[in-house]
Amino acid sequence: MLRAHNLYKSYAMGRASVDVLSGVSLSAKAGEFLVILGSSGSGKSTLLHLLGALDIPDRGDVEFHGKSVFQRTKKSREDYRNREVGFVFQFYHLLPELTVLENVIIPRLIGTPTFKWLSHRREAKKAAHAMLDRVGLSHRVKHRPNELSGGERQRVAIARALINEPTLLLADEPTGNLDEKIGAEILELLTEFNTAGQTIIMVTHDVRVAVRAHRQVRLTGGKIEKVAATKGSPALA
Amino acid sequence: MYKWFLAWRYLHTKLIAFFGIASVTLCVAMVLVVMSVMGGFLDTIRERSRGLHSEIVLDTGTLQGFPYYEEFQQYLQDNHKDVVSVTTPVIYTYGIFRVPATTYTRPSRVVGMRLNEYAQVNDFKQGLHYEHYFPGTTRLGPQRMPIGGIDDKQRLVLPADLEAANARWRESETDAEKKSEYTAHPYEMAMYPPYVTTQYPANRVYAFGDEGPGYVGPENSGVIIGCDLLNDRRNDGDFDRHLARGADIALTLMPISPAGNVTGEPPVRLPLRYVDDSRTGIFEIDDLCIYVDLDMLQHKLAMDPQTLADGGMTKARVNQLLISLRSGTDLETGKAIVAAAWEKFQESLGDQPSMTDMQLLSGVDVMTWEDLQRPFIQAVEKEKVLVTILFSLISLVAMALVGCVFYMIVEKKTRDIGILKAIGASARGVAGLFVAYALAVGICGAVLGTTLGVVFVWNINDIQAFLAALNPQLRVWSPEVYSFDKIPEIVNTWDALGVGVVAVLASVAGSIIPATIAGLIWPVKALRYE
Ligand SMILES: Nc1ncnc2c1ncn2[C@@H]1O[C@H](COP(=O)(O)OP(=O)(O)OP(=O)(O)O)[C@@H](O)[C@H]1O
Ligand SMILES: [Mg+2]
Repeated sequence: MLRAHNLYKSYAMGRASVDVLSGVSLSAKAGEFLVILGSSGSGKSTLLHLLGALDIPDRGDVEFHGKSVFQRTKKSREDYRNREVGFVFQFYHLLPELTVLENVIIPRLIGTPTFKWLSHRREAKKAAHAMLDRVGLSHRVKHRPNELSGGERQRVAIARALINEPTLLLADEPTGNLDEKIGAEILELLTEFNTAGQTIIMVTHDVRVAVRAHRQVRLTGGKIEKVAATKGSPALA
Repeated sequence: MYKWFLAWRYLHTKLIAFFGIASVTLCVAMVLVVMSVMGGFLDTIRERSRGLHSEIVLDTGTLQGFPYYEEFQQYLQDNHKDVVSVTTPVIYTYGIFRVPATTYTRPSRVVGMRLNEYAQVNDFKQGLHYEHYFPGTTRLGPQRMPIGGIDDKQRLVLPADLEAANARWRESETDAEKKSEYTAHPYEMAMYPPYVTTQYPANRVYAFGDEGPGYVGPENSGVIIGCDLLNDRRNDGDFDRHLARGADIALTLMPISPAGNVTGEPPVRLPLRYVDDSRTGIFEIDDLCIYVDLDMLQHKLAMDPQTLADGGMTKARVNQLLISLRSGTDLETGKAIVAAAWEKFQESLGDQPSMTDMQLLSGVDVMTWEDLQRPFIQAVEKEKVLVTILFSLISLVAMALVGCVFYMIVEKKTRDIGILKAIGASARGVAGLFVAYALAVGICGAVLGTTLGVVFVWNINDIQAFLAALNPQLRVWSPEVYSFDKIPEIVNTWDALGVGVVAVLASVAGSIIPATIAGLIWPVKALRYE
């Protein structure tokens, strides 16, 4: 479903340049729960951003359902970000002015032309409520993000990432900012979605978290190094 | 859709938006107030100017005037009765005005007029003071000084004809408030206890004496005096009249020959009687002009027919001929007709006029009241434009301020912009969000500013009164200086709409650069923003 070819990415640091990714290739199958491991600063976020088309690689490409992501038009790449993938960040990144419900609806709002919104509104609201229900926050819809705990915020972020029913969920250390217990709950939630068919690519530096995955890869020295499969993985099937 | 939704959200959750709105509001209010006051000023001047002359004016612009005006009046009467309604000649000269009972002297512009005809061609009569409260008693002919007396009930009374005139006014005046002016004026009482009655409308001065009520003194020609020339204007715009009606006035004049020389005779000294004061509302006029009877003045200035050495007679001369048009006649059409008539009339004279007269006739211009006042009105118009431009420049500052406010918002919202882009918002969409935001700020500011401006203009005189009560230095609009008692209080609807629309456009324009910056923000960079 997703295939990254030989991705290169380097950042200019003054005169020198830091090669963060130097030829990363990776693929994920539908329904898979893939974990990318790597120490801090190894380029995990950079890679995930490329997979989600939030950034552009120096070289290489990402194919999604056999179609190049970076050779698309700008508009089509925006649609990709809006509909095909959902993003969950370590620091939640909710919009502070909006309520929980509104934060969840925003991707719908962005994806719907103004003239269609009126007819679409009711359905979008229903979907958002359903989504919040699934992440267990239906009692918090009217709250602002700053009135929620970290775990609750991450649940909202997950609901937002999934409202447009993306094929792929990209999660960048979703538990990195949470204590163990809450982190485990979030992982539990992600696993539930995965069991229900959601493809997930998650990035983490915590090996304990990685055991949830069907498959793990490790990012070191700008390359994918080791592939470990856990049982029940569609990759092994 | 999310643009509008988020713009709306930012509008009422971001304090900084209120700074943007406040700057737009203040600018809109300021420009609107300036435009309204200047516009009102202009309208008033225009309105007053119209009432000053007549629709059409024949003018020489010289002091010696022009002859054959009576013949031309007759010519118009005979040939253009359908267009021309009333014509009346006017003499202008300069003289030294003196109040013999005091040491007061002033240079003045002397206007010779036939009061009744003059009142038919313009609004002059509306500006007369005593004529208002004692209708029918202001005349320019020879007259004596009225003095009041005391009746058996110890009340002050005026001569019977003045009492009757005053009764007529009281009967016709329907406005109760105006009627109540008929009360004591303590200020004046304190200043002039022996001369001023408490029984006559406030601020009107009659002399009193043992021989009254009745008339005293010699028969002198009447003179109407510009109200600012003689009286002190108070802060409230009304006048303190110090001189009793009927007081003696002395006027010194210089007669001028048709060729323009001062005649060899000594200056003419005229004893006159103060019958009324006139208020046109234009300070430059009310501080300068006095009005006397045309025929008397013409005679004293030797502008009436003079016997020549060869036995012939010169023609009578005047400086202006005022012509009013029949209602419904277009001003420019009227002017064209009168101008053509004037050409034909001159031809019809043949070689009858002398060389000097010919010269004087050729110097006559046919003008409309607008032509006459144009330099003055244009000056004020230019002032309005100038002040509007100046204040619009200040509005550019507001635009820059909106730009700054938005730049700050964009800076503060960089992370949120990154989030929006990460979930699929386009560069145009994000830029549009900020433009929509600016539009909302502009609309709020324009509505609030227009409201503030309108309320301010409507109450501008009260505000000024309040400020002046705090500190007299804060009185900016002094009726002692300006021609009008009040600052104009009218807001032109189109001005208000125009200012509002420009303000909205300006704040949108001010947001374009920050909005573009926001649109170009790279999602990853923004997300790494902590
Ligand atoms: N915009 C940038 N400019 C310069 N260097 C950058 C930039 N973004 C990332 N880097 C560098 O690239 C490297 C990889 O960063 P990245 O955020 O992908 O690491 P990571 O594996 O996600 O780390 P962590 O586990 O701490 O999140 C780091 O050394 C970082 O300093
Ligand atoms: Mg990272």
